[in-house]
Amino acid sequence: MADTLDSRRLPDQGPSTPRLSRRAFLVSMCAAGAVFGFPRAGLAAMNPQAADGQPLEAAGQRFEPTLWYWIDTEGRVNVNVIRAEMGQHVGTAIARILADELGARWEDVHIEHVDSDPKWGTMVTGGSWSVWQSWPVYRQAGAAGRLALAEKAAALWGVKASAVTVADGRVRAGGRDIGFGELVRRGLDRQFSEDELKELPLKPHDQLTLLGRDLKALDIDTKTNGQAIYGIDAHREGMVHAVPILPPTRYDCAITAIDDSAAKDIKGYRQTLKLDDPSGTAPGWAMVIADSHWAARQAAGRIQVSYQTGDATRVNEAEIQAENRRLADDADAGSILDTGDSGDVDAVFKGAADTFQADYTTQTVLHFQLEPVNALVFRNDDGVWEVHTGNQWQSLCLPWLQKALGVDEDQVVMRTYLLGGGFGRRLNGDYAIPAALASKALDGRPVKMILTRADDSHFDSVRPPTLSRLRMAFDADKRVVGMDSAVVSGWPTKVMMPAFMPKGVNGEPYDPFSSDGIDHWYGVGAQRARAISNELAEHTFRPGWLRSVSPGWTNFAVESFMDEAARHIGQDPLRFRLDHFKAEGRNAGQAPNSVGGARRQAAVLERVAALSGYGRDDLPADSAIGIATTYGQSRSMPTWVGGAVHLSVDRDSGRVDVHKIWLVVDCGTVVDPNGARAQVEGSALWGLSMALYEGTEFKNGRVADTNLDRYAPLRMMDTPEIEIELVDSTEVPVGLGEPGTTVVAPAIANALHAAVGVRLRHLPITPAAVREALRRAES
Amino acid sequence: MIECTINGETVRLDADPDMPLLWALRDLAGLTGTKFGCGIGLCGACTVHVGGNATRSCITPLKDVAGAAITTIEGLDADGEHPLQQTWRALQVPQCGYCQSGQIMQAAALLKDMPNPSDDDIDAVMTGNLCRCMTYPRIRGAIRDAAAAMKEASAHG
Amino acid sequence: MIKRIFLALLLLAVVVAVAFTVYAWHSELPAMAASDRPDFDAATVEKGRVLAAAGYCATCHTAEGGEPYAGNYPVVSDFGTIYASNITPDPDTGIGDWSPAAFRRAMHEGVDREGRHLFPAFPYDHFTKLSDQDADALYAYLMSEVAPVNQRTRESTLPFPLNLRFLQAGWKLLFVDFGRYQPDPDRDDAWNRGAYLAEGISHCGACHTPRNALGAEDQGQRYQGAVIDSWTAPALTSRNPSAMRWTAADLSGYLKHGADAYHGIAAGPMGPVVHAGIAELPDRDLHALGVYFASIARDGDSGPLPEPDSSPAQASVAAGKPDPAWRLDDGERLYATACASCHYNDSADNLKATRPDLGINSATRLDDPANLIHVILDGVPADEGSQGVVMPAFRSALDDRQIAAIAAYLRASRTDLPAWPDLPERVGELRAHAGTH
Ligand code: FES
Ligand code: FES
Repeated sequence: MADTLDSRRLPDQGPSTPRLSRRAFLVSMCAAGAVFGFPRAGLAAMNPQAADGQPLEAAGQRFEPTLWYWIDTEGRVNVNVIRAEMGQHVGTAIARILADELGARWEDVHIEHVDSDPKWGTMVTGGSWSVWQSWPVYRQAGAAGRLALAEKAAALWGVKASAVTVADGRVRAGGRDIGFGELVRRGLDRQFSEDELKELPLKPHDQLTLLGRDLKALDIDTKTNGQAIYGIDAHREGMVHAVPILPPTRYDCAITAIDDSAAKDIKGYRQTLKLDDPSGTAPGWAMVIADSHWAARQAAGRIQVSYQTGDATRVNEAEIQAENRRLADDADAGSILDTGDSGDVDAVFKGAADTFQADYTTQTVLHFQLEPVNALVFRNDDGVWEVHTGNQWQSLCLPWLQKALGVDEDQVVMRTYLLGGGFGRRLNGDYAIPAALASKALDGRPVKMILTRADDSHFDSVRPPTLSRLRMAFDADKRVVGMDSAVVSGWPTKVMMPAFMPKGVNGEPYDPFSSDGIDHWYGVGAQRARAISNELAEHTFRPGWLRSVSPGWTNFAVESFMDEAARHIGQDPLRFRLDHFKAEGRNAGQAPNSVGGARRQAAVLERVAALSGYGRDDLPADSAIGIATTYGQSRSMPTWVGGAVHLSVDRDSGRVDVHKIWLVVDCGTVVDPNGARAQVEGSALWGLSMALYEGTEFKNGRVADTNLDRYAPLRMMDTPEIEIELVDSTEVPVGLGEPGTTVVAPAIANALHAAVGVRLRHLPITPAAVREALRRAES
Repeated sequence: MIECTINGETVRLDADPDMPLLWALRDLAGLTGTKFGCGIGLCGACTVHVGGNATRSCITPLKDVAGAAITTIEGLDADGEHPLQQTWRALQVPQCGYCQSGQIMQAAALLKDMPNPSDDDIDAVMTGNLCRCMTYPRIRGAIRDAAAAMKEASAHG
Repeated sequence: MIKRIFLALLLLAVVVAVAFTVYAWHSELPAMAASDRPDFDAATVEKGRVLAAAGYCATCHTAEGGEPYAGNYPVVSDFGTIYASNITPDPDTGIGDWSPAAFRRAMHEGVDREGRHLFPAFPYDHFTKLSDQDADALYAYLMSEVAPVNQRTRESTLPFPLNLRFLQAGWKLLFVDFGRYQPDPDRDDAWNRGAYLAEGISHCGACHTPRNALGAEDQGQRYQGAVIDSWTAPALTSRNPSAMRWTAADLSGYLKHGADAYHGIAAGPMGPVVHAGIAELPDRDLHALGVYFASIARDGDSGPLPEPDSSPAQASVAAGKPDPAWRLDDGERLYATACASCHYNDSADNLKATRPDLGINSATRLDDPANLIHVILDGVPADEGSQGVVMPAFRSALDDRQIAAIAAYLRASRTDLPAWPDLPERVGELRAHAGTH
């Protein structure tokens, strides 16, 4: 199940997919530009170490054991990375995996974020998948190079290849010693069949020397001296600047008139384009074109655009939540997830001695990645459209671009810049389309579009308003005998990539990114999990994938509920959880990704409880430690997380003050300990931010809080102490970008209840909500 | 025509006097290390020094800096070796990196004015700088380390 | 009987009118060709340059974007707009055909070469205190260093009968105490020098003394503070709202640098007063001004100075320390994210004029929040306040309610003064107000 779900999620991914196997292992690749008249590889790829972003030029001949890297005659190893860099130092992590297996010297390693040539396969960066997916691929690639180098040296010296060692950038046998560069200079053209690659022996764990070591990420320098190049920094000779005027709502708006008379005297203002979008991505957009961003922005402020609008202008957050509830009430709605053959849920509930039910909701959340979305598009001298931008899912966006521009696959290429924050916002590359259309309208002239912050928020693909409804059935001995769950929201995958939706056991497709987390690892007897899409939401705005996606809200529900259910039957919440992590049946886990299953989740929970002092009774009044545990992204690649939060509550104001967060994380092998901690820190703080501070709402189909004057994410002053423990493991490395996010909100809700006895079931937990709950509890 | 100095060089910018300094730096002077985040002075991504003071360039009209000395991240230290840049690298503070020019410029002003900042001082001054990747714990650490290093250097120099 | 009374009254009226006419009438003084002007020595010209700066003549005699001293700067009053005249040495439209005597008469009596009364927007009520030598030095400077510009001065928009220059004589009769500065023998030289400059060329009272209904300085309320161009020129007496006592050193430093760590910066109409003006004075004179105003600040009390007291600064710094509840109040939240990056100080011993502490700053403590709001809305350019440092402009960033919240937060958290009423409306008014700043 786990594997099939993954391949459904990520078609065309990994070493066994046809496209990669066909092309990936040719020894001497033709230069990337030769195939489609793409720009020179150097122009379409990005080197985060260089001030100008230009990739390394190979010295002399290049040896390319696989698609994923080359070695030049100076022994420099240039690793091709298809993932986008958005703060996870993904290039470094991937290069490290390769270099370790290859036996390269770290100082010789360089990275290149490649263009969007189809040869690279599906390009997507999200879901905390990058390291997990790259691990087998780049290790095999490294092993191939190592073998080729060893064989070459063995032939040179007349010894057996098995007598040759490759380490630290040198190849040695007996007293002899030669560098990678020298071997490449002598001509290396070893090829590997796909089968050979699969058979290549990989180094045992204890011989991996770079793994788990603290190395400085290769993109750090340029990120401290202003030289890192983001999409917003893209530049092209002769470019004009564009600022869009967005329609009132995402869909169903058409421009009826544009009056730019008040903008005509702005120096540098050129014209306003009414976009006509065959891809349907940007209906009702106008683009203000000027000689500078500032001129375009000023002009945009003075241009009057009239629209014909649709129903969405009448939709508010409350209606979307009401629709969520209506759908949860409707027993026939939605897709039923495969929770194994666990029994007849309805019958169990009918016969139950006791049941407990609760609804949990979350409010609209913005990505608010710090770099507002932007794109530079033009037609190059070869007639190919170049799209220069930061993007997390090139393979999703390129077909939209083709449609918008009316060209074939080989006529559009994307150069992926560093991302000034992704968090899932740039999985949806909608923002590239209007820039492309504007360039098309201007006959291929370079157009650089930057959204204002307010517009970026207004058309964000938000984390939608969600509802999770959980029910639990108990027998007469207070044993858990069944669980019934429903989770409702707008579904991004349905809107943007319906082919990625697997089918539930009732044949209905579902969005895993809007339901993951609801199918937890607790043994609860008869179990049903329903995922339901809210079309009112989907029609009002474009829902998005936001850091940790559904586990960010389903776990708030499940882990709050586990506390509530335990208390409902008078049990200790920690004991209650541990008792239900049985690691049986489907919860026993599966090789390779979820070995150990619920047992590993129980372990991190127990550990974090011990570490945090959960249960101690010497805390001051109105303060407490709360716990929660999650498994990160999805059952198919669980990152086991135990979290605890120490907080206190100010009864007068309702303010929640978080003092400390503890996280125990089992992500399998830790490739990059420092980077792992950074990801856990950042994601935990995101969790805190969404638990207490972040939340906006739709008003008349529009995001109500579009800039920092009203939208107020976590700041330095709110940042508590964080203690992180990474579990020592040699299991498959899984994701780290998101799991930390998922435990914090429920741990806060549980601590809050422990501290002052009120249960908050809506995120964010505002002081007003706490005050209100306390008031109600008192009366 | 507005004349000022940017990173020690005198420049004359022929632009709308109301153009925010941020866009003049990025689009006219070609200094893209200074970033655009919110445009309303509340994220700090656009922080530069004007006369040695940390200044939100997105809401500073060009005409107001006539005659002033501006320093951007590119000019903070010719070799990128300001003590803060060193500790920033040592602790691997940046994630996406987008906010970091502003963070470093803000922190540099902080250390100039308060060479021994307490955690409270760091929190108060740095809270205006949003880091969406939430690198706050490391920013704190890197500022503390740089303050210590600068003290050390001045004690020995 | 009635007839006699009527006649007597008529006679009286005629006598008064004749007397007034005699008083009001000034002859035209002869024109002087440029070639007839006396030679000026360099020292006199330099002295004149410094005096012109200390009187910030250029500020009012130069229109925005116009040539220096060529006039047409609009002086907006409750009565209408008066345009400052062209005082370049252009013979047709400026003062190029004035003799030193004519110039002196203008300074001392408010009458131009042709004998017409000048409007009191030109502060001859102060310049009358100027010594003859200083008036001549100014003349020397204007005639030799300023380029002649041919530009006609625009007519004022004063309504009838206020536009009758003749009637200005009545105003003078009522309100102006003509005559050169007379030193106070009970005071030392520095005090007298400061008084001479402040009362004369620098005409400080023109902004800091309230005016009566007819626009004259109310001498009964000298230096008690006034509104100018929608800004408050704070009281310079003991009614000054500053939390920290002004010392002579603070005052002279403020006038030299445009900023003081304990009191804030010279912004708004005070900006050019310092930077295009008084800062040019030699340190000795700045010291004298400091001495003079330190005494004004004590309402003339010359007894021993009270001990310096840094407790207000300490209290303000303490009140500014981070508070975990910072998000509860919108104003505090916005302050923490928009203002504290510069307006925050670690200790009262380490205050910097370039990071003004807003708790002790006058702007937070005035009865009218206008100064604070003006600065939040439009910032402070590099050539005002602390030189080379700018305060950004939040006009386009924050709305009226948000700026009001910041102001209210500062007032409540840093002072014991009563809350400002109707703040959002006040921000709205000031946002709409197209002042000269
Ligand atoms: S862009 Fe200037 S503060 Fe956000
Ligand atoms: S490092 Fe990404 S916003 Fe700070």
